[in-house]
Amino acid sequence: MYLLPLLSFLLLPLSFVVAKEDPHAELVKLAAANKGVIPLDERVYNLLTSPKRTWSSSVQFTALDPKRRCSPCKEFNPSFNQVAKAWQKVPAEQRDTHFFASLDFDNGMAVFQKLGMQSAPIVHVYPAAEGPRKSPSGKTSPFTYDFSYGFEAGPLAESLSQHTPVPIPYKAPIDWGRWATVAAFGVIFAVTLRFIAPILQSRWTWAAGTVLTILIMTAGHMFTRIRGAPNSGPNGQWIAPGYQNQFGQETQVVAMTYGLLGSAILMLTVVTPYTSSPRRQRAQVYLWSFVIFIMYSVLVSLFRVKNRGYPFKLLL
Amino acid sequence: MTTKAYALPSDLSPATVTNTTSLLRIIALAFISGAAIASRLFAVINFESIIHEFDPWFNYRATRVLVADGFYEFWNWFDPTAWYPLGRVVGGTVYPGLMATSGVIYKILHALNLPVDIRNICVLLAPGFSSLTAWSTYMFTKELKDESAGLLAAAFIGIVPGYISRSVAGSYDNEAIAIFLLMFTFFNWIKALKTGSAFFGTIAALFYFYMVAAWGGYAFITNMIPLHALALLLMGRYSSRLYVAYSSWYAVGTLASMQVPFVGFQPVRTSEHMAALGVFGLLQIIAFAELVRSHVSSKQFQTLLYASVIGLGFLGTLAIIGLTYKGWIAPWTGRFYSLWDTGYAKKYIPIIASVSEHQPTAWPSFFMDLQFLIFLFPAGVVMCFRELRDEHVFVIIYAIVASYFAGVMVRLMLTLTPVVCVAAAIAFSTVLDTYINPVEPEAPADEAASSEVNSVASDVTNPSTPTPVSKKSKKAVKDSSASSTTGPFGDLVASVTSGKSGKKGERSFGVFGLDTRLVVIFHAIGMLIFFVWHCTWVTSNAYSSPSVVLASSNPDGSQHIIDDFREAYYWLRQNTPETAVVMSWWDYGYQIAGMADRPTLVDNNTWNNTHIATVGKAMSSSEEVAYPILRKHDVDYVLVIFGGLIGYSGDDINKFLWMVRIAQGVWPDEIQEPNYFTRKGEYKIDDEASPTMKNSLMYKMSYYRYAELFGGGQALDRVRGQQVPKTGPTLDYLDEAFTSENWIVRIYEVKKEDLLGRDLKSANAFAQGKKRKRTKPASRRKALL
Repeated sequence: MYLLPLLSFLLLPLSFVVAKEDPHAELVKLAAANKGVIPLDERVYNLLTSPKRTWSSSVQFTALDPKRRCSPCKEFNPSFNQVAKAWQKVPAEQRDTHFFASLDFDNGMAVFQKLGMQSAPIVHVYPAAEGPRKSPSGKTSPFTYDFSYGFEAGPLAESLSQHTPVPIPYKAPIDWGRWATVAAFGVIFAVTLRFIAPILQSRWTWAAGTVLTILIMTAGHMFTRIRGAPNSGPNGQWIAPGYQNQFGQETQVVAMTYGLLGSAILMLTVVTPYTSSPRRQRAQVYLWSFVIFIMYSVLVSLFRVKNRGYPFKLLL
Repeated sequence: MTTKAYALPSDLSPATVTNTTSLLRIIALAFISGAAIASRLFAVINFESIIHEFDPWFNYRATRVLVADGFYEFWNWFDPTAWYPLGRVVGGTVYPGLMATSGVIYKILHALNLPVDIRNICVLLAPGFSSLTAWSTYMFTKELKDESAGLLAAAFIGIVPGYISRSVAGSYDNEAIAIFLLMFTFFNWIKALKTGSAFFGTIAALFYFYMVAAWGGYAFITNMIPLHALALLLMGRYSSRLYVAYSSWYAVGTLASMQVPFVGFQPVRTSEHMAALGVFGLLQIIAFAELVRSHVSSKQFQTLLYASVIGLGFLGTLAIIGLTYKGWIAPWTGRFYSLWDTGYAKKYIPIIASVSEHQPTAWPSFFMDLQFLIFLFPAGVVMCFRELRDEHVFVIIYAIVASYFAGVMVRLMLTLTPVVCVAAAIAFSTVLDTYINPVEPEAPADEAASSEVNSVASDVTNPSTPTPVSKKSKKAVKDSSASSTTGPFGDLVASVTSGKSGKKGERSFGVFGLDTRLVVIFHAIGMLIFFVWHCTWVTSNAYSSPSVVLASSNPDGSQHIIDDFREAYYWLRQNTPETAVVMSWWDYGYQIAGMADRPTLVDNNTWNNTHIATVGKAMSSSEEVAYPILRKHDVDYVLVIFGGLIGYSGDDINKFLWMVRIAQGVWPDEIQEPNYFTRKGEYKIDDEASPTMKNSLMYKMSYYRYAELFGGGQALDRVRGQQVPKTGPTLDYLDEAFTSENWIVRIYEVKKEDLLGRDLKSANAFAQGKKRKRTKPASRRKALL
């Protein structure tokens, strides 16, 4: 009489374990089969983020179908896959407590709608909700990865490592192409050194380099580099609105204007006085003075576009 | 007999001409000094004699301590009111040069029985030093070209906005004296290098020491001079002059700089200083090799010697790298490193990236600060390449390095400005020299066509002409022109211009006709006048605002002063106990300490990132989370800056994301930047704002009772241009204590714990007569809203 309940009592934890292990085992299997990134649909997503999860996960929400025209998604996807692949190198006991997964918009529109997502890519990190890896603050809502560091894999791995049991052993792959280029240039340089030595020793080579650097720097190249400003704005606009802002094309135009003005000054002082025909010299003086005046006016009017309150103007 | 475009007086004795020119030079320099000082007084005339901005308030406060208690007390000053409760060892964490300078001036004036207030000395220190900067720039440029270029350079730097921006009256900051020290150190270095004099090397070292004591930017000199020396070595221009100049500068300068407590042993322990040490070592090796070479003639031995020099240099570099790796030499500090790796600061030290003057520079800023000098600058650099003496190499290196740095960080425009002035003056004075010179060349009809090509070709084909030779030829030209028959005044002009064309002294060059001269010279004068207009406009409009006092104009055009900051700080000073701790974002720490004289949690000396992040966390969390933080830090008052009413854009809501980011860096679990954006990823404060945003202490303090101001109408935030929700936030743990006239400064008092032991939220609800519903705790919140 007592045996049956006893048996069932014995079986109970077993069945419980089986029932509980089941989604986890499925996820482990899915991850192993797909190079570490579980392809999600709505069902698997709910499985992965179930409120009783004892594991954590990083989920990429993306839209890779060409008709969705999400170029950042395509740019970011390889980085995410690389990080997930790196995670596969971790010993199984830790590896299987954190999963990488990817949900494409076309496979899980309902999930996107539920989460109210209107853009992609987005990376969420779901911390464990139960079990030993539950976060001490008891937080179960997802963290969102901040894309301000760009789409590269390095910062992604670094940032996600805060949520994984052990840091993700991601190492940037060696860029063979780049090293080969460097080596090739080195060899070419060494071989042709004898021929280009006079060029390298010429002060005018260095002068050209120096002046180009100065022109580019003073035209705000570093601003566009650091801020990642686009080359030109939407609908062909090439002057960025605002005083503390600029586009890539502005750098070129301004550097060229400075260069033209500077070389006109140089012409007036270095070349013109050596012209020994009075008529041609006079023509040159007037020409370069005119060029300076016109280009200076252009420059000032360009500046007036950037700084609306500027009260002065020349010709234009 | 040469023809002349216009007649010169020929009945003057050479002595008269020399004396008159030197008198004119002195008068011109005096006028330039006057203009430099006068143009910096807009701030005093438009507003009043007041210390500006943020950091100057600390310098001013420290100077007052120095003057009142003496240097010894200042040296050992521990300030318990800053960084409450940590305190700050001011004497050991400050560059004391600025305070010591004004302290000395104060003592001298008082010894002369001139009872000048220390505040006025502090306010007028920067304009005073700007005239010294003009003079040292004159000396520097004189070494490169001649006196006329020097005068132009002095005039340029006297009024150029790029330098004025940091040296208007009241801008009592380290940069105020640093640029003078920079230029004067460089001048002494050039002079030491030219003459091979240990005397000038030592003077350079002494001013380098002054610079180290005055500004953290001394690292620029520490690396510029070794870079110059190294470039000269690589160009094969080693000389005993270089050896003497560098060794005297480095030995004396380094030992002296180590006497500043804030610098200490850094010159031998950090990477910033390793270039100077490495070049010093290299110079010793090369000097030894040269010595041996001069005594030994065997060719093979010399080859061996060269190999060993290169090997030793290589080994030395490896040793420095190895020591860095082992941790004996500290690697580049973050501030310095972020100049090379521009993404570094944003990623790892958001506190550096958050400062507006650390942003990269867009081109309009360059034009605004330098105007027409910016395109004369490359032309001047090319002219330096034409001569390429040792000192010209210095200007070229300085030009490249500084233009890169100025592009990366707005504030480093300050180090670019002097070299731009110098190079532009060289270019501009060459133009003037060429077109003022009355001597007309002969016009040989046969070589009219080919001479232009010749002149360019001659420059290109013999570029590596050794300097001594070209120098000699120039001297020869000078001598020959001195003996010609153009009269003393013509001699002067001719000798000034001959420097440019020394290579082919005998070939005729010059400008024909008077009209060409007039065109270019009128054009040049026009550019100069435009420059002066530009500088005056920029200085009076953009760079003379004290930022403590704001100006706006009334409908009738008269000036209206907005004085909210001082109003609020004086309220604190007069209505709160002296020990009341005020919490605010770090920007306002120095001002609160200086004007309100109250302890602050964080200030502009951003040495403790965690403490700043704590304040950031308190500001960006909800009241319930922030309250324990405030109480644990004994905070009595919280101060926020809010510009929504009058459209003051530098307010705390606009800085809020940086607070969030900095807090996130320390507590990534609790604070996340994306939570402060709307679902569409926008930063908004209206109805669509995210709940985290609306519940944050900063939001609540900024918009508390703001909608009531509009009496039921739609409340508008004039900075963000967004509608503020009609039902504004409520506060349970803070009490509004003071709001200034234009709502710019709002001060809240932190409530003490409830006497009955309730949490303040329910106590508040009880006081408002709202009955607490026991059954549904969730509805409590509803009742409040």
